[in-house]
Amino acid sequence: MSLTITCPICGKRNGYEFRFGGEDKGPRPDEDSLTPQRWCEYVHLNECVAGVQKEWWVHKDGCGSWFTIHRDTVMNVEVAKPEADR
Amino acid sequence: MMTRINQLPTLRVDPTKKVVFDYKGKDYVGAHGDTVATALYYNDVRIFGRSLKYHRPRGLYSLDGECSNTCMEIDGIPNVRTENTLVKQGMKVKEQNVKGSAENDMMGFIDKLDFMMPAGFYYKTMHKPASIWPVAMKQIRKAAGLGVLSPDFEMPGKFDQIFPSADVVVIGGGPAGMSAALASADKGLRVIIMESRPWLGGFFDYRTFDYRDENYKNNKQLYSRARELASKVESHANIRVFTHTSVVGTYTNNLVTGFQIGKDNDKFTERYIEIRANAVVVATGCIERPLIFENNERPGVMQVGCVHRLARTYGILAGERAVFSVGHDLGLEAAIDLFDLGMKILCVADVREDGQNPHLMIELAKRNIPYLKGWVAAEAKGGKRVKGVVMTTLDGTISRDFDCDLIVASAGFTPLNGPLTLAHAKLRYDSHTNFFVADKMPEKTHAAGRMLGLEDSLSIEASGVIAGLKAALDCKLMKESYGNSDVDALKSEIDATVAKQKELPGPARGSKFVTAPVKGRKSFICFDEDTTIKNIRQAIEMGFDVPELIKRFTSAGTGPGQGGIPGHNLPLYVAKYLAASGAPPKPTTVRAPLVPTLIATYAGSKHIMMKRTPMDDMQRADGGVFRKIGVWERARYFSDDFSCKKEIENVRNNVGMLDGSTLGKFRIHGPDALKVLQRVYVSDMSKVKLGRVKYSAMCNDDGCVIDDGVVIKLAENDYYFTTSTARAGATIEWLRYHTRFDGWDFYVVNLTDSMGVINLSGPNARKVLQKITSEDVSNSAFAFSGYKEFMVKDTIPVKAMRLGFVGELSYEFHVPSSYMVSLWNMLKDAGKEFNIQNFGVEAQNVLRMEKCHIILGQESEQRTNLLDLGLGFLWDRTKKDAKTVGAVALRQAENDPTRFRLVGFEMENNGRAARDGALIVDDKVRGYVCTARDSFTLNKAVGMALVESHLAKVGTRLEIFEDECGGERIYGTVVPMPFYDPDGTRMKS
Repeated sequence: MSLTITCPICGKRNGYEFRFGGEDKGPRPDEDSLTPQRWCEYVHLNECVAGVQKEWWVHKDGCGSWFTIHRDTVMNVEVAKPEADR
Repeated sequence: MMTRINQLPTLRVDPTKKVVFDYKGKDYVGAHGDTVATALYYNDVRIFGRSLKYHRPRGLYSLDGECSNTCMEIDGIPNVRTENTLVKQGMKVKEQNVKGSAENDMMGFIDKLDFMMPAGFYYKTMHKPASIWPVAMKQIRKAAGLGVLSPDFEMPGKFDQIFPSADVVVIGGGPAGMSAALASADKGLRVIIMESRPWLGGFFDYRTFDYRDENYKNNKQLYSRARELASKVESHANIRVFTHTSVVGTYTNNLVTGFQIGKDNDKFTERYIEIRANAVVVATGCIERPLIFENNERPGVMQVGCVHRLARTYGILAGERAVFSVGHDLGLEAAIDLFDLGMKILCVADVREDGQNPHLMIELAKRNIPYLKGWVAAEAKGGKRVKGVVMTTLDGTISRDFDCDLIVASAGFTPLNGPLTLAHAKLRYDSHTNFFVADKMPEKTHAAGRMLGLEDSLSIEASGVIAGLKAALDCKLMKESYGNSDVDALKSEIDATVAKQKELPGPARGSKFVTAPVKGRKSFICFDEDTTIKNIRQAIEMGFDVPELIKRFTSAGTGPGQGGIPGHNLPLYVAKYLAASGAPPKPTTVRAPLVPTLIATYAGSKHIMMKRTPMDDMQRADGGVFRKIGVWERARYFSDDFSCKKEIENVRNNVGMLDGSTLGKFRIHGPDALKVLQRVYVSDMSKVKLGRVKYSAMCNDDGCVIDDGVVIKLAENDYYFTTSTARAGATIEWLRYHTRFDGWDFYVVNLTDSMGVINLSGPNARKVLQKITSEDVSNSAFAFSGYKEFMVKDTIPVKAMRLGFVGELSYEFHVPSSYMVSLWNMLKDAGKEFNIQNFGVEAQNVLRMEKCHIILGQESEQRTNLLDLGLGFLWDRTKKDAKTVGAVALRQAENDPTRFRLVGFEMENNGRAARDGALIVDDKVRGYVCTARDSFTLNKAVGMALVESHLAKVGTRLEIFEDECGGERIYGTVVPMPFYDPDGTRMKS
């Protein structure tokens, strides 16, 4: 409820306008030589970091774009991109 | 009725304006401005209700709604906090949790049975033998609890929500809060100030002592200082004032929520307020920490502020003969002031050894008020109300009795830290003030005033100014346009104010006293839950050593007062009891809402906003019976016959019209449009041909079907596609989500609302269509699965598809919404000679079921995959490079024998259709009925069901269990699908 999110197109907006799209797990793996185990992990397993994680959001009540932010999951606030990711 | 002191300058009631209200069927008179509690007290009501567990009489105690003592039923709403509710003309007030009346409660005997109810007794008793619990539960529920809510009660009143934003939010409209608001607003920032009482002023508002008390004479009085500040705040252009507004939550990112109670001419009864701010000032002040002694909640025992405010704010002297037992200077001040107002003060006992304000000591002495240093109240005498008090020394060695009707008791102060801790501040015990203070403040949040332990008026105001300036600095630093020199100027102003405040008195030493030297069997630490000191000791002796756990076990502090009464005393008492361990007191956890709030307030106004199709009016005129379906209102039936016999037969034998505008409609184009479709649709979309309609489905990553619809190729990389009604809202998001890593170039437009859809179905459909267009619509020119674009009357652009959802010759016309009415009328006119009729969603449901065409959500649930539905033929396994969503999972599920299968069945022995959702069983649940209807076309009851694969073979007998069937099963037999026109000659010819 208290979350604000910075949309790359619309700027900083109320969190109500967005929908969560899960942790960033990278692009879909190639289907050749994909084991059921690996696929299941890609789709269903999450890191659930207590701290800063990179995740996807969609500006559903705005421009409709998908983008990533970094969020502190403990305080539930958007944070700047960590040095390591820059 | 009591006499009211009418001439006080501090009054907040207007005794000349009478308010008549109803209490237990009789008329009572209060004054405009009275709360329900003060109006009842003025009318000599002393017992407001009975307590939760022991049915002890309870009365006025804090006057700020910190306990359930004065919760009553008002206008049918139970548990209303009467101390916070203004009395209104015609209000109906009732007591609650009584058998008989609050005065003579037949359940009062339970108070004597407390020995049977030690801490946690309900965890330990009444479970052996197991059969005793249902009986015990029934009795306990009858005896315990507060208000009762009738199941068909409807909440009266108007509720609203607002979502303002501000630079600075100030929580608390006392001297510190007002000073902070002014300091920030003077720097040009937009400020919101929230105050829970109906006026600004805080603890200055009712006090007549001198504002600058150095020489104790001829200076401004505190209340007039409060009003001076209030008028500055109210007239400041940058400040928005919310009075009668309680804060219920604070969150990270400086979000503050509260609710406001409407005034007489406001358009809301209560409204929810959610404020997004850049900085927050918390100046919530203190409540009083209750003094614990025997019968410390007997009607007639009150806190200092309650008695003082009753007199000064409401003009009511709470009693005639009062004994004070206090632990702070406000108690001494109240005794002096009340003496001057005519109350007889028998004595003032003070638990503090030293630290009293010498001016107050002199004033007490001047009035010959006996002052007992090191004494405390030990027991309130009297059955239903106070008739006397036993006073004792702190060690309990000497005692004295007084005959009195009022005991004014208060051990110390409790800072209202809730707004800080909810925003993740960590609390630390401070032994000087005896307060829990915030150690690490939340970002851009500042505390001010009494909650820091300050008692000196000037120091309190200065702390407000500092907090206001710091909040202003936070805001300025966020705005890049603000120059460095301005920031520096603000910083040095803050430093100067801090330096000035240092010369004023700092935080005062707080009293640590909690409980009189008594055994504590009837010494209540929590009034809401009837928890005594003895209960706490029992819990500790059972091994609980953390206040939070003791709170859970004894339920102290879990009532409507949200811990207001025991919140501070419990940790202090536990720490004292466990003194040997040397651990500092640990606070219990505070949670939102900080103040009990009506769910109606959170819900806000009643707004049902349903979408309506362009054909809404016309279908209503034709007798459509509408139902809410998803976000839409749709015509489900066109007569009172909900089996839709006529509608169905007309489509099968003649021609009918359906409004299909709720379908999701999209156009996707751009260089990578085809790639997107290949990603989300299971079929090979490169095979979609111009002039043809392609039916396909979308799956999720588990291979479960989420959507089906048709795709039409308009040109290279330019497609028009439909989705089911329910998926229309989420489709673009879905497309973009599953292509988010690819950087593809495409545009997708949602045309759901801009296009309407008419479905024309029945053997005569072509004849009707021929009459409105010159286009060749013969079966050879416009065959099944064909697509055509043409103009009607050179004006209406029509996208026409030849489909067969209902199993007949059938066309779907997609036209711009604005032309829907015209086209509808044209078809209706053209069809007149064939007696064209409307059909609704239910008729369509039966028609398509006879043809075994599925509707997602009916023939599927979340776990149903494409193969379960027998739609595997749609899936193209060769396009691995497209990374089609769901393909991996489908490949893995392909040979899984444990999956359900969709089967068709007919009822045995001409039986009626099973109900939708009925279970397929043997000794276990084996599946369920998706849709089943008595088919007029086929003259038998048929349906579709999802069943375990071993039951899927044609000829298998299905045992069907319906809700409330009383053990009577009905039976069906698996038959081939579809039931109607298996060769499809009707829809294809």
